[in-house]
Amino acid sequence: MRLTDSVAVLRPRSPWEAMDLGVLLAQRHAGLLMLAWALPALPLLALLSLLLWESPGWVLLIFWWLKPLGERLPLFILSRALFGATPRLGESLRALPGLLRAEWLASLTRRRFSPTRSFDLPVLLLEGLAGKELQQRRAVLATGPGKRGAGWLTLVGLHLELALWLGLLAFLYLLLPAQTSLALDWQQLLEGTPPDRLWLEHLTNGLYALVLMVWEPLYIACGFGLYLNRRVHLEAWDLEVAFQRLRRRLGTTTGILLLAAGLALALPDAALAQPPAPQPAQALGRQAARADVQALLEQPPFSHREEITRWRFGDPAQAPDVDVRPSAPSPLARRLAEALEILLWAAVGAGAVLLAWRYRDWLAAFAGRRLPFARRAPPPPAEHAAPHPAPAALPADIATQAERLWADDPGQALALLYRGLLERLREDYRLPLSEADTEGEVLRRVRRLERAELQQLAETLTRHWQNLAYGKRLPPAELKDELLAAWRRQFGSGGTA
Amino acid sequence: MEWRQSTIRPEPDRGGCLAAGGWLASGFQCEHGRPMSASPAQPSDGTVRQPPLDTRYLVETPEGIDLVLHPAGLVPRALAFAVDLMVRGLILLLAFLLLGQFGELGMGLASLTFFLVTWWYMVLFEVLNQGRSPGKQLLGLQVLHDDGTPVGWAASLTRNLLRVVDLLPFGYSLGILSCLAHPAFKRLGDLAAGTLVVYRERAQPRPSLPEVAAQPLPFALQADERRALLAFAERQAGLSTGRRRELAGILAGPLQVPEAQAEARLLGIARELMGPS
Repeated sequence: MRLTDSVAVLRPRSPWEAMDLGVLLAQRHAGLLMLAWALPALPLLALLSLLLWESPGWVLLIFWWLKPLGERLPLFILSRALFGATPRLGESLRALPGLLRAEWLASLTRRRFSPTRSFDLPVLLLEGLAGKELQQRRAVLATGPGKRGAGWLTLVGLHLELALWLGLLAFLYLLLPAQTSLALDWQQLLEGTPPDRLWLEHLTNGLYALVLMVWEPLYIACGFGLYLNRRVHLEAWDLEVAFQRLRRRLGTTTGILLLAAGLALALPDAALAQPPAPQPAQALGRQAARADVQALLEQPPFSHREEITRWRFGDPAQAPDVDVRPSAPSPLARRLAEALEILLWAAVGAGAVLLAWRYRDWLAAFAGRRLPFARRAPPPPAEHAAPHPAPAALPADIATQAERLWADDPGQALALLYRGLLERLREDYRLPLSEADTEGEVLRRVRRLERAELQQLAETLTRHWQNLAYGKRLPPAELKDELLAAWRRQFGSGGTA
Repeated sequence: MEWRQSTIRPEPDRGGCLAAGGWLASGFQCEHGRPMSASPAQPSDGTVRQPPLDTRYLVETPEGIDLVLHPAGLVPRALAFAVDLMVRGLILLLAFLLLGQFGELGMGLASLTFFLVTWWYMVLFEVLNQGRSPGKQLLGLQVLHDDGTPVGWAASLTRNLLRVVDLLPFGYSLGILSCLAHPAFKRLGDLAAGTLVVYRERAQPRPSLPEVAAQPLPFALQADERRALLAFAERQAGLSTGRRRELAGILAGPLQVPEAQAEARLLGIARELMGPS
């Protein structure tokens, strides 16, 4: 047993973690452990069942009672596997008779109901003690939390066996088809099994053996983990491993140092002055070293390789010439295909139409030939420079109307006069006024007519109109008569001259 | 394979073996043990070297730091579940006794309580109490996400709703099997929710080193070697005199002291490593 060979990391753990380590160890060798448990146990069960066919209950009791003996072989395997020397199945089975001999009677009688069975077994089996020594050794190991952990382990294991067993039974019961489901008569079950149902009881015993096949190695592994942990605590195995490693590290380095120092001291100057050691060997060494370095550099930490798979176009020249076209399809299939093609094209067309209908406005606005305004009339442009919604038609006698309006609202009156002026200019003087013309442009056109009176009227009116429209300044009261007089003089009292 | 303690026999290439007689605390003397088998314990050379077994679960943070978690196995989890089951049973019993006095309204309230306790007991405790239901708290367990972060609503709900699957076909059979077979001891609900049940870190009492004069380090030490030397000094009380001497004797050579003085030397070095405190 060399601690440095251990496949598990040795360090002091809590009892729970020690059990977990046991489970991990058992997981690694699960197949071997289960086989090693089942190969002696299942034939034994079969034998018992054959001998005591009439009383399956006794079979189960005897099998259950013999359980501790079946735990020895898995423990043997685990103890070897921990130090990397996992035995083969044959080897383990050959070791079985020797294992069973040790303290078998006590295991089956006095210690059968000990809750710390899994924890005590390694002491008995692996340390090979007997009698008084064994008692003392157990007492030593038991002074710790490991023993209590073993008790809990047994308690949990008891319930776990039951749960798995009933689970397996329930699983089989669920598998029965509903029609053939056994008409369970619970009372009948309690009274006793009829002889033709004995096989069912034996099957149940077999299921229990299956459950044990899974759980027993784990149970033993947990107990073994507890035992191991106790010894790690008591004997500081982890420290021993660490110290051994330290000694080995220091041993090699100090050895080299000593060697170097010794060489330097021992060699006389004359020896140093001599030509250096034979070159070829060193050159060879250097080459080998270079190859080593090269090989090392091509290994993972230094070289990074990855495989990338991606799609690309196939090379037609390299494509296989095998004619993979299928033979001519049957007429029915062809007709079907044609119908499908028509259907698909129809679907495409319908989709296009639907799309066009959905975006008809957009098409009309940006892609149509017709102007969009043809269908949807735009809002009428606002009246030129009219701050208020003015009546569409001008009154017949503008001056009189304006005079009347002036008392209430000089602004309205002024607006009326200005509109009247524009109307007159357009109709009487044929001025080409457009909607875009500003007041200044209108005035310029009036000036071009070279009529002093008209020009003065237009200028006065425009100035006051602008003052009103943009400056919110009401026209002075004396303007009224002057403006109306000028208006009447220019256009007469009538509306349309 | 020699599981029994045998008299140490220095072997230059193998290093020290297990303890000499008389190192047990009880003064228990043992003779040469009977080997279990004649075949020597040699690791088979043909096998691929597997990583060492350990009950640790490493989570690497983006900063390259390994967080060490200790996943909890079946036994403590089953015990925690049993405790929780009892607590829930007690709550329900009290609720039904108390609310049963109030007729139909009471029964309605009791039904609500039943729903709450059945489906939300675990979730509420896990999310609001740092991943610990009362049973887990008693056993020193804790639920975490796989990356070590505290468990959240989604994960906790998932893992607890999936108890229905773990229950199948009877008494958590699937959960038990999954827990026993998984390297991090996860049941199906844990697998689906991405959660991990770990042992909660408990505050360790401050270790006390023997009062000796500090001595300088005779050679450079790596981190794990320093840790081992400190542990040697801290665990003095738990080791027998003989075993201490034997362990220290392993390093007598490199320290260049007689074996009898190695222990005192190591304690001095540990004191030096510990620093003034």
